[in-house]
Amino acid sequence: MNLVGAPIDRVDGRRKITGTARYAAETPLPGLTYAVMVESTIPAGTIAAVDAAAATRASGVIAVLTYENAPKVEQHKVAGMTDRNLPLLQDRIVRYDRQPVAVVVADTFERATDAASLVRIRYDTSVPALSLAHGSGYHPEHSHGDEPSVYERGNVDAAFAGADVKIDRTYTTPVEHHNPMEPHATVATWDGDVLTVYDATQGVFGTRSRLAVAFGIPPANVRVVCPFVGGGFGSKGSAWAHTVLAAMAARAVKRPVKLVLARPQMFGSVGYRPATIQRVTLGAKRDGTLVSTLHEVRSQTSIFDEFVEPSAELTKMLYAVPNVRTINTVVPLNAATPTFMRAPGESSGSFALESAMDELAYAVGLDPLEVRLRNHADSDPSKQLPFSSKSLRECYSVGAERFGWSRRVPRARSMRDGGLLVGMGVASATYPTNRSAASALVRLSSDGTAHVFAGTQDLGTGAYTVFSQVAAEELGIPVSSVRFELGDTNFPMGPVSGGSQTTASVGNAVSVAARSARDRAIGLALGDPQSSLHGHDADAIDVRDGRIFLRDRPDVGDTYAAILGRHPQGEIEERGDARPGDEKTAFSMHAFGAQFAEVRVDPELGTVRVVKMVGAFASGRILNAKTARSQYLGGMVWGLSMALHEITRTDARSGRIMNANLADYLVPVNKDVPSDFEAYIVPEDDPNVNPLGVKGIGEIGIVGAAAAIANAVYHATGTRVRDLPIQPEKLV
Amino acid sequence: MIPTKFEYAKPSSLDEAFALLAEHGPDAKLLAGGHSLIPMMKLRLAEPEMLIDLAGIPGLTGITVRDGRVSIGAMTKHATLAASEELRQHAPVLFEAANALGDPQVRNRGTIGGALANGDPGCDYAAVMLALDATFTVAGKGGTREEAASSFMVGMFETTLSPEEVLVGVSFAAAPASAYVKYAHPASGYPLVGAAVVLSMNGDAISEARVGVTGVGDHAFRAGSVEKALAGVRPSDRTALEGACAGSAAGVDVRSEPAAGAGYRSAMCDVYVSRAVLAATRG
Repeated sequence: MNLVGAPIDRVDGRRKITGTARYAAETPLPGLTYAVMVESTIPAGTIAAVDAAAATRASGVIAVLTYENAPKVEQHKVAGMTDRNLPLLQDRIVRYDRQPVAVVVADTFERATDAASLVRIRYDTSVPALSLAHGSGYHPEHSHGDEPSVYERGNVDAAFAGADVKIDRTYTTPVEHHNPMEPHATVATWDGDVLTVYDATQGVFGTRSRLAVAFGIPPANVRVVCPFVGGGFGSKGSAWAHTVLAAMAARAVKRPVKLVLARPQMFGSVGYRPATIQRVTLGAKRDGTLVSTLHEVRSQTSIFDEFVEPSAELTKMLYAVPNVRTINTVVPLNAATPTFMRAPGESSGSFALESAMDELAYAVGLDPLEVRLRNHADSDPSKQLPFSSKSLRECYSVGAERFGWSRRVPRARSMRDGGLLVGMGVASATYPTNRSAASALVRLSSDGTAHVFAGTQDLGTGAYTVFSQVAAEELGIPVSSVRFELGDTNFPMGPVSGGSQTTASVGNAVSVAARSARDRAIGLALGDPQSSLHGHDADAIDVRDGRIFLRDRPDVGDTYAAILGRHPQGEIEERGDARPGDEKTAFSMHAFGAQFAEVRVDPELGTVRVVKMVGAFASGRILNAKTARSQYLGGMVWGLSMALHEITRTDARSGRIMNANLADYLVPVNKDVPSDFEAYIVPEDDPNVNPLGVKGIGEIGIVGAAAAIANAVYHATGTRVRDLPIQPEKLV
Repeated sequence: MIPTKFEYAKPSSLDEAFALLAEHGPDAKLLAGGHSLIPMMKLRLAEPEMLIDLAGIPGLTGITVRDGRVSIGAMTKHATLAASEELRQHAPVLFEAANALGDPQVRNRGTIGGALANGDPGCDYAAVMLALDATFTVAGKGGTREEAASSFMVGMFETTLSPEEVLVGVSFAAAPASAYVKYAHPASGYPLVGAAVVLSMNGDAISEARVGVTGVGDHAFRAGSVEKALAGVRPSDRTALEGACAGSAAGVDVRSEPAAGAGYRSAMCDVYVSRAVLAATRG
């Protein structure tokens, strides 16, 4: 049986398309009330006066919470990469535009919305810090995890000074908001001192600890439930203010409360990708081999918390460069706290680095692909460790072949299709393989089915499906006999679904738990005089289709159903715990890929149409080729979006976000996505990375995609756009 | 999301409608499809107390072509215009605008009269009506009056229509050599630039051109200097054509927004006017 890897349909697909998959906002509870947040209309200052009288009097209104009457809660974070300081109506300070300043609870959503519009707040404004370019910044302690924010190997200044060819360019990326289809939503209900929260989250356990800290109750008193997520992209990786405020409101009105963010509020207090200003210098020999790389990253954070966009991490390891310096500077601004978004760091950083590599290719007169091959890192130059596996060369060659890279005429602005300019670009992709401790529980029943529980999340990525496949394969039963449940803190603990780590973390735990359950069932059969397998050796056993049998004599066997039917409880339960081993000290672990893009540019209008995109990715073992392909393609679409569409605009004078809606904040639609669009899975066997041999696939699809398109635009037009997004105005 | 409270009436004659308008004055609004008005009411940017639906009044729909003149009832839906073979033949500029406007839902409900009376600065038809030198028929209690399209449009969401009048139809001379092209906003589909051109040809040279532009200023306008410059130009002469179309938005207070800054929009105005001229010649 080879269930793992099979491109099966998603097991939750039918529930989603028939509308029976229940999302947080759809949780029905008796006596439900509705909360609507009121947000600040200034970026900096203090609340001078609150007039909630009209709102309080409005029909159906149960409570209006402001800093004047909100219960005391802890708004500071405790620890952990995903925890944030939150504005929870505890003081009169306004730190950013769209900060929650009141919560209105009413008996219907419409009445709460209406009453929220009646809350009058007067502000004393102060001068906001709004400029990333000119604001004063600092070097944070870490750029990412334990990585120092200032890193150097060799001597960059000396090497750059002596280089034959020098590239010194500045690239910028704008603020971008995640905008998953499902808005953030929380339904909260209290039973005495016990809180249950149905939340749209990428981490039920992180949300649980945040709520426990906020209300000063034990984590065991908090249950967080999230069976489905309609997209997260990082924005649901942290517990934000609205989740705590919903629970606060539920406690205040002594009834269940639902709080769903309106689309404009998705631009408020749920994180975003911070703007970056990135200077990249490349020193190279005439043959295109790099002697030095400098990558300086300036990114914004909020005035009340720290988030670092780790754009230069990949620069440390992507190419074999002896002299490398990376520097992160963060500038606190009167804006909400930024957060992880779609390959934080790698996506924004690869735009800068891979654009610079393209500029180098033109400077030395080499094919951009050849320049990358000449600088290929056979081992990790920053950690000085071998890669657990690396198939980047194969990604380049498979991608180039499927894309038709050989069609490319080297000179910029040399290819045409009628009146349109044609361009082709390439970029490398990489993403680290992360893994955290995780657990799972497998229950085998006398009906021959397995019920598997894990406190993880499925963001739409296919977690339900691939974990069902893993459990089915280990147990030797069909996927249809596995019922997988996730998204509940009552289940064994799993990490946040971020950093592309869910499959590597939870998959290995499911595998361990399923194997334990299988072995225990085998043990029961071998020790059971009523079983035809009684007395045989466990090493001689195989399992297939729910049947345990002798490998050499398949006619001698027993079934799970029969074995457990004779068991006094009628079922057995096994828990599996999996955690990273010492592989991190022996290997550098990364997925790799190559992105190719072809564009048509209308020279009169400056409009860019991507007509072809090909990605080739090697991410270890692929558990389901179908869901994996969807992950890669989804990432590439967001890369296209980053290249051409997305930008959140803040008014330079008022500090207010100007385009908090999906008419003015552009995301790609079907018409924007090329019909010639494919992601290829480059086979890769990695025995070192983790027992399942999997690397993360959730984020690498976006890495390099924007650079490949930007490089294609340069090839088409001869105009280098170093400031995303590439809007038509920049090309005419 | 929820409009303020309002009354709804569906008169079966214009006289009934005039009576309602007289009774409610500026608190009444005419409903002629509702694809702008209803969203504005939901956002409470419009809060009429009385909504007068024109859909029950007979005689306000249809396309008639007689003696080289095209007449269209104000309540004719975009979808009807977009599917009209007569229009495709006699006024491709309007046929193309109807097809480029909104989405199927909007085209199935929205009407030409509603769109024009709304006075939206991004109204596709506004440019078309200017290029066609159309005449608007406006009915009021005291009778009907006719007004040129060029004087009807005054400013942003502003026309010469008084609160007690109803736009009942438009008419114009057939214009087989005509075209409408637009640079649509990527999300809303409204024109960042919409260019309508009606040509009279003398052999392969333009003898007379009328150029209407929408989406660029606070209301649609005729590009008068371009019209003059186009006279005598052979559209096949690319350099001459582009030269004639240059400065098409000169003197206009060009709108600036994230999707298109003023400079870019002005440049695109020239490009689209010249593309519309070429499209009209191919006619």
